[in-house]
Amino acid sequence: MAAAAESDNGSEVSPTAAAARDSAAVASPVKAKAKARALELETSASAASASESSEAKIDDGNIQEAESSLREGLSLNYEEARALLGRLEYQRGNVEAALRVFDGIDLQAAIQRFQPSLSEKPPSKRSNKLRSDSSNSGSQHAASLVLEAIYLKSMSLHKLGKAMEAARQCRSVLDAVESIFQRGIPDVMVEQKLQETVSKSVELLPELWKQAGAYQEALVSYRRALLSQWNLDDDCCTRIQKRFAVFLLYGGVEASPPSLASQTECSYVPKNNLEEAILLLMILLKKWYLGKTSWDPSVMEHLTFALSLCGQTSVLANHLEEVLPGIYPRTERWYSLALCNYVASHNEAALNLLRKLLNKNESPGDIMALLLAAKLCSSDCSLASEGVEYARRAATNAESSDGHLKSAALHFLGSCLAKKSRIASSDHQRSLLQAEALKSLNEAISLDRHNPDLIFDMGIEYAEQRNMHAALKCAKEFIDATGGSVSKGWRLLLMVLSAQQRYSEAEVVTDAALDETTKWEQGPLLRIRAKLKVAQSLPMEAVEAYRTLLALVQAQRKAYGTVKNVTEDDDKVSEFEVWQGLASMYASLSYWRDADICLQKAKALKAYSATTLYAEGYMREAREQTQDALAAYFNAVSTELEHAPSKVSIGALLSKQGPKYLPVARSFLSDALRLEPTNRMAWFYLGKVHKHDGRLADAADCFQAASMLEESDPIESFRSL
Amino acid sequence: MTSDASPQPIQSAKAAVESLAAVLGGALPESLASADDPAATLLHDAGVASVVSGRLRGAGSGVGNDGLCRWLYDAFQSNLPELQLVVLRFVPALAGVYMSRAVSRKPLAGFEAVLLALYAHAVAQRGAGEPETVTLPNMANPSVYHEAKVPAKTKAAELDVVVLSPALDPHGTIRATRRARIVGAVLELYHSKLALMPLSSKMDFCEFCVGWTGKHSKLDDKSRVLATAAAEPNTVVTEEKWKRVPLPWELFQPTTRIVAHCLLGPTNSDELKTQAARAAECLYWRAAETMDTRALLLSRSVVRLSQMAEEPIPEPSFSGGIENMAELEAMRADILSTKN
Repeated sequence: MAAAAESDNGSEVSPTAAAARDSAAVASPVKAKAKARALELETSASAASASESSEAKIDDGNIQEAESSLREGLSLNYEEARALLGRLEYQRGNVEAALRVFDGIDLQAAIQRFQPSLSEKPPSKRSNKLRSDSSNSGSQHAASLVLEAIYLKSMSLHKLGKAMEAARQCRSVLDAVESIFQRGIPDVMVEQKLQETVSKSVELLPELWKQAGAYQEALVSYRRALLSQWNLDDDCCTRIQKRFAVFLLYGGVEASPPSLASQTECSYVPKNNLEEAILLLMILLKKWYLGKTSWDPSVMEHLTFALSLCGQTSVLANHLEEVLPGIYPRTERWYSLALCNYVASHNEAALNLLRKLLNKNESPGDIMALLLAAKLCSSDCSLASEGVEYARRAATNAESSDGHLKSAALHFLGSCLAKKSRIASSDHQRSLLQAEALKSLNEAISLDRHNPDLIFDMGIEYAEQRNMHAALKCAKEFIDATGGSVSKGWRLLLMVLSAQQRYSEAEVVTDAALDETTKWEQGPLLRIRAKLKVAQSLPMEAVEAYRTLLALVQAQRKAYGTVKNVTEDDDKVSEFEVWQGLASMYASLSYWRDADICLQKAKALKAYSATTLYAEGYMREAREQTQDALAAYFNAVSTELEHAPSKVSIGALLSKQGPKYLPVARSFLSDALRLEPTNRMAWFYLGKVHKHDGRLADAADCFQAASMLEESDPIESFRSL
Repeated sequence: MTSDASPQPIQSAKAAVESLAAVLGGALPESLASADDPAATLLHDAGVASVVSGRLRGAGSGVGNDGLCRWLYDAFQSNLPELQLVVLRFVPALAGVYMSRAVSRKPLAGFEAVLLALYAHAVAQRGAGEPETVTLPNMANPSVYHEAKVPAKTKAAELDVVVLSPALDPHGTIRATRRARIVGAVLELYHSKLALMPLSSKMDFCEFCVGWTGKHSKLDDKSRVLATAAAEPNTVVTEEKWKRVPLPWELFQPTTRIVAHCLLGPTNSDELKTQAARAAECLYWRAAETMDTRALLLSRSVVRLSQMAEEPIPEPSFSGGIENMAELEAMRADILSTKN
């Protein structure tokens, strides 16, 4: 075994030496001859490596022998000879042998020798450059050889799993280069091989630190790689930048930001990992736009990750739009852009993109796009029909592929149908749509019992259709599924209980809900509590509840008044609402003066509001100032075209003005019922109109509807949830 | 569970080890008591970790008089950074069990005390009322890494400041509506120390993450269809136990960040990567269930990245045998010429 190895080495090394001696003798190297010899050498080497690479091991005696013959033949010094030998071993895959050869190299000694000749200031004139080039090249070759050896040593250690030691070796290469070239690596002066070793080492070092678990070192070496002058080519620099960005994003290391005093005034200085990563990724994309690097899909995904973490999808959308055609299929790009726009609340833009995508010439069956489009449409009555279409398609397409997505499709179908029913032109159509909506929601639940949002939407739909028993069940289920952590669940339960006029239970639930809610977010619950008191005709307690609410609202205003950028929560109660609520309550008790004061306060906060104008109208009406009341109601309707309560009041007032006003009154009341089919006052007055007109059967129907609804009127509209 | 934890506060790592031994009933290995750096040993000892997580997952854990929770609380309140790391190491099991059980509204005062202590630490670290913000770079401005032409007189382009994590209000109790926020902030704290966490802690997290999404059955269906090797029966059983929990953004975001770290961060464990890829996929399907677009974009990018191959470190290039020899020749010639 040992003998085989020995003879192997003999046959490899001595031809090198012989070839060297030969060509040294001939002043101008005869290329053909050299090539022939080289070829011979190469074949023997590769044959050896093929047959025995794994077993071939050279011991120290062999190394010394080979080394001395190399030194003699090539007039190489000790380090250079070892470098050559080790490289040969490494090349043949004998990592351990290479390592043993490299171990003998004293890098410090080598650096000392190279330093004076290479650290000369690069001369500015061109003619000088050439001269210094030639005088440098000798020691550059030697330096290159030794540095490459250390780099290969580091690679060998890395392959043997000794990452920490590998990293130290690799760092010593860079330290050496830095001490040799104290002014950074000049473009023109460096031999290609040396540059390659430098680039490879720069790229390798942070990866080694990472493997060794020395993350702070890795961070430092990444910055060193990118901020010092290594004269790296674009590809290498790109790879390092990408790896650094990945490390910053997912490394889980708290990195101190780069500190550089030499920043110009308007330059961007990243303060933390995420900022630095985003900066690097944007630079990478820009490089690609400029044609400096090839496309790397992962860069965009990393940027997507980083930007959606902080919700900046509109910035992401800009980057996606800048990607040149031919990278993403256009439907995929549209879908991604639609997602970005939706997150940024640019719903219309998102929908337009999806419409293009779902066109019959593109991908009409794309299930994710269909689902997104259906969800988008379910938030807007005027889009509901379109949404129904998308959701149906999604449900059909999901049939074959995926049960869970089918449940989502049916969920959105139900929501869209429910939304559509709100603007249905006839009772008949409305009830058809409502039944269909419930059917889809039920089907969705049968496929996925664990989705609380589905249960919630189901509850709302039952409540809208005044099936309070089923709605109550859904509300309870929702609270159970979410552990009471979602406040709209509590509110739904309270609405349903109030609609069933189970006020004392509602009070208990309010207390439980308040218990699960922090002070700051109790506004809506306190408002409900006040309204519950009003509903139970407990004005003193209602006033007290409103007082608590007002204190909270004012404290909130003070706290947030100074802070900018507070996201407007729909869970916040405005002060306006409080005064409005108080005004209505005082008015219902005929405390006109107090009601007036509250109303003025409300008006001061919000000058043109349909609710305030309506309340004013109500007070005028109660004091029999009919003309003023009508004017106020009309103002309310012109402020908010779809303000049903004002329409009801107008209808009611007009119906009392005599028979010739009855048709007008009827049209106002019908209009109100179109907007709010469950408005019991509208049904009541419509019944009166019918009665005045002598249509007794119609009147009876209306009165019946009104009396049925009275038992299921919640204190706040279900739609406010 | 008995609460025979030390009544006096923990003041050293050694005391912590002793009181832990008392809590666990002498289940600690010998090496731990005699270690030079007991806190570091405690952090990385797999045996202790599995005993402690086992206790945390066990039935009836996390109640008001749970001795282990008491120990975690005391160890964290010691304000010794090494001991705090040991406590953070158990955040996955702690938060995982807590969230799953809290949905059923069981009394979990022990867990809540530890979580609140961690949360209070996070609040103090960031400063009350301070959101964590990110200033987005504008490529028109130069930076350390790139140059840009900025006309001398014009001002720098406007930068967008966006909120990464909203301000933390101090809380003395965990109310249901704030539960996700508090646990989310604790996960952010855990995230900031991820590089120091042992592998098994991250494995725990990925396991709970899968449970939280309630989507594991979906993946299992798929794997059955694909006729790949079925998961071991007992792992399936443990996963079934962890109930699906609501995942609002404030919880979804830090969860996904941790999963992304497990998947794309520096690790040599393929096992962790596999588990994290599974967790990422579950998060994606959970987001798809309600088409929660923000969560969908975030988790989709992680899933896609999990499917992309990592670029290997470039190998040294030996540009072909023959040319290589010619190069050697040239080198030798050069050396000779300079020597003369």
